[in-house]
Parts: sequence; structure tokens; C-alpha cells
Amino acid sequence: MKFPSWTGNPTRRGELVIGPLMILPAALGLCIFQFWPLGVAILNSFRAFNPFNHRPNGWVGFGNYQAVLADPSFQSSFWVSLIYMVLMIVIIIPSALGLAILLDKRMPGTALARGAILGALASSEAVAALIWNAIYQPNSGLLDVIFQTFGLPSQPFLTDGHLAVVCIVIMTAWKDIGLPMLIFLGALQAIPPHLFEAASMDGANRWNKFWRITLPLLRPSLVLGLFMTTIAAARLFTPIQILTAGGPNGQTSNIAYFSYAQAFLFNSPGPAAASVVMMLLMLVAITIIQARALRSRSGI
Amino acid sequence: MASDTLSIADKIIAKPAPLTQIRRGTVFGAMGLLLVAVFFAFPIVWSALSSLKSTDDIVKFRYPLTWWTFFPPFPTLENYYALFFQLNFQRALLNTVIASAGQVIIAVVTSTLAGYAFARLRFPLRNALFGLLLVTAFIPLEVILVPLYEVVKGMGLVSTYPALFLPFACSPFGIYLMRQAFQSIPVELDDAARVDGASTLKIFWRIALPNVKPALATLVLIQFIWSWNAYLWPLVIIQDPSMQIAQVAIAGYKSVPNFPLDGPLFAGVTVVTIPLVAIAIILQRYYVRGLMSSGIR
Repeated sequence: MKFPSWTGNPTRRGELVIGPLMILPAALGLCIFQFWPLGVAILNSFRAFNPFNHRPNGWVGFGNYQAVLADPSFQSSFWVSLIYMVLMIVIIIPSALGLAILLDKRMPGTALARGAILGALASSEAVAALIWNAIYQPNSGLLDVIFQTFGLPSQPFLTDGHLAVVCIVIMTAWKDIGLPMLIFLGALQAIPPHLFEAASMDGANRWNKFWRITLPLLRPSLVLGLFMTTIAAARLFTPIQILTAGGPNGQTSNIAYFSYAQAFLFNSPGPAAASVVMMLLMLVAITIIQARALRSRSGI
Repeated sequence: MASDTLSIADKIIAKPAPLTQIRRGTVFGAMGLLLVAVFFAFPIVWSALSSLKSTDDIVKFRYPLTWWTFFPPFPTLENYYALFFQLNFQRALLNTVIASAGQVIIAVVTSTLAGYAFARLRFPLRNALFGLLLVTAFIPLEVILVPLYEVVKGMGLVSTYPALFLPFACSPFGIYLMRQAFQSIPVELDDAARVDGASTLKIFWRIALPNVKPALATLVLIQFIWSWNAYLWPLVIIQDPSMQIAQVAIAGYKSVPNFPLDGPLFAGVTVVTIPLVAIAIILQRYYVRGLMSSGIR
């Protein structure tokens, strides 16, 4: 019983060789360009670097971590990362659900709205950031022009730290809302219509049906959308780089931008590695919580 | 799950049933949908319209708010002229096309080979290996950026085309997608061919591949959009401006001191975005499928 029957099947013995060979190119690529750099990133977070040629020159244990954790700009980036996550969830999840419900009704105009949302989703983060930069520009930006027309004071959209964070989140929501919306829409369309018919016969109104049927059946998708949005928020980089470059005073810099700046602007590979490893740990924690949440759902 | 995902994806883009009666709710809903369409289409349409204004007109006609804030009062192609005859944008565009083509081709080859082996062939540790390779889907580029830069630099590839497409050409998403597609082909087809004496590779080429064309279309489209839209990696690995891709080149027009390039910037944005958005909307059957299976693991 120890050996599966196929080892004795002469016509399929070749697969023992062909199978691994067919996997080899992909496995090799993923090892060289994903696993190996990941390992090096983790090792680098425990290393000291020569300040002149940036080569590793010894081990410092948790020194990089201590240095980074004591760095006020890292602390600020950490909190800003959390703020991005909360804001993106609060803005994207309810609007994505609302849009999904609107599109689910199949009213005239559905294809138009879906096309526009998919178009925003397909456009690049860089392009989206550049267009929204023109919208947010101080003095000559489109939003400012609209504010002036209605007699409202000019707003420092990208030059005030708090407002800039909100502006970055709104831009990202415009671009990325399509993905959670599609997930919710798929789940909505998978709900058997007879459930609603039965509820109507029992005298349930529209609100009851939403709370008692739609939302509970949508929970796995909501959890999925929630965590995809959280991970996207943790990885936010391009809009920050293009719209504010982390400024003013690092008030829009998250951990992803902090580590990029450490590595490529300030040439400190050690702290850069320590900060990305902490970002990775944060993502792993989120993924584990996600897996737990999804499992407990399916158990019901 | 895979066939589920596909049927759901198809449902999402199915045509609505013909209206039998017009209710008030329908009218409000349609107006809401129109507003949604305007909100999501506006930034791209506005930048396309702005690309037809001269940089001076963009500034001049912005305030006060009139139709000319949005529409070009004196439509001109001078921004496109500047883009292609002064800023050498065609080179950046060519670099993007080469990088995308390289990434799509390698992704299709590696993903179909690995996907088929994981779906159909029997060898030890198959499922463990599959799980291990899928883990890479959760490694963010931001985390491995510096060591990946060192790896590619160590290969002597800084500022070359392979540097743009090699690191992301092996895709856990592609392997997953193709494995699901191959699994949905009836095993009887393989068995019948094997009885007729066909080799494993022949079965792969003659029977399996022709049966996964929709999944291949999805893979090509998603990989194309991903590589076309790449920004952070090219920004870091390309240091020779003539090798830079279009997305990074356009972002460079944003901040040229004392030389406003608003017009060419909008023109560049339009050139790289409109074709891509058009492809995504026209091929939305495949695009939505790809998005759904990249989201639902």
C-alpha cells in the first residue's frame, strides 16, 4: 500500500520525469525572483552594512529593528499605514457593496456603469495618480476651480497632511473599487431567487430581506473583500510616490514608502529590510486572521 | 470552485432581461447608474479631452468654470506632436510593448506547462510543490524590492529588457488559473488518447491546450494589463532614460522645473490608457474571469 498504483503502470511512468520537468521553468523563476529575494530580505534585516559600498559587513541581531522602531518617522509611517487601512475599508467596502447591489438589479445603464468601473480598474495606478494630481492641484486644480466657483475657500488638498491622506484614499478607491464590487456582485447573483420569494410570502419587506438573507449569505465575500482591501491598503505605494512623495513632513508616508525611501533615497539597506519584514509580518497576520474568519464562516 | 468562478463571472456580464414594465424605481436606478458611469469615466475622459488643449489653454480656460474647463476650445494635436517629435515618447512606448510582450509570452509558456503538470501528471510531492509555488502570490513586491534589485543587478541586467519582464513572468496566478482550466477537461479524453498510444507531451499539445483557450485568453489579458501598468519595478531597475517604460516616462513630465508639460502629460496618459481601457471593456468576459479567479483562491 505504500506505493501508489501508478508507479507500477508502465504507460504513466514517464510522468515521473516529465511532470517535474514541466514545472521546472516556473519553479526556477519563482525561486530566483521571489523566494531567494525574500530570504535575503529577512537576512538583511539582521545585518549591518558598510556605509560606503552598501555591502553587508556583519550581523547586528535585532539592531536594525531597534533602530527602526525608535525612529519617529517609522512610528509615524506605521500609524499612517493603519489610517490608510481603516479609511480604505470604510470608504471602499460600503460603496462597493452599494454599487454591486445597484448593478445587480440589471436596470438600463448597467453595462455603461460596469464598463466605466472596469475601465478605472484597468487603468494603471501611475496614470490614475497623475490624473488625480491634476484634479487636486492647488490653485489651478479642477477641484479647486469647482470650489472657487461655488464660493468655497481653496483647500490644501495635497499640502495638508491629513487632507492629503484622504485625497490619496479617494483616488485609490476610484481606481480599485471594481475588484471588491465584482466579488460582491458575483455573490449577490449566486443567491437563489427562491429565498427572496419565500421571504416575501412570509411578509418580509425589502429591509428585512437585505438584513436576514443578503448580508448573511454575503459574509464570506465581504470578508474576502475586506482583506483584499486591507492588503491593497498596506501595499499602497505608487499614489503616495506620485501625489505627495510621502510629504508634507512624512505625514502621508506608510511603511511601504518608508522602506522605499530608506533603501533608494537614504541608502540604508538595514533599516529598509527591517521595516519591510515588519510589513510582511503585518500582512501575514492579516492573512491568518482572514483564513480563520473564512473558515469559521464555512463551518456554519 | 473554478467552474463556479467562471459561471459567476459570465453571469456578471450577462445581458439584462428586456424590460417588461417601467417602474419609478427603475428610472431612479438608471439615473444612479448614469451618475456612477460619469464618476468613474470622468477622470479618464477629462484627461483625453485635455490632451487636445495646448498647455496654455489648459491653464487659461480652467477658471472660471465653463464648458471650456472640460472641452478643448481650440482642439489641437500639438501635445501629441511634442510627445512624439520632441520627447521621444515612442521609444518609451516601444519599451513598454517589448516588456509586456516578453512577460506575456513567458507567462503563457511557464504557466501552461506547470499548470498541466499540476493538474494531470502524477509524480511525488506534486501538491506540496503546488502549494509552495502559490505562496509566492502573497509576497508583495515592496517587501522584496531591494534584494530583487540586487539579484537582477548581479545578473548584469540593470536597464535591460529582460530586467523588466523576467522577474514577473513566472506567475503563481497563471499556474493556478491554468491548473484549474486543465482540471476541468474530462479525464476520459486523456485516457482515450493514451490508449491510442499518444505520449504525454502529445496529449498536452493536441488535446489539453486546444481545450483551454478561454483560460489562455484570460491569462494573456491579465498578464498584459499587469505588465503594461507596472510602475515601481521599472522605476527602480531602469536607470538609462532611453530604456524607461511609458508609465514612468509620463510621471517624469509632472515635475520638470520651469517647463510645464501638462499638455504632453495628458497626451501621454491618453496614449497609454485609452487602448488598454478599451481592450479591458471589450474583452470584459475574460477580464472579469481573470479578476474573479485572482481574487477567489
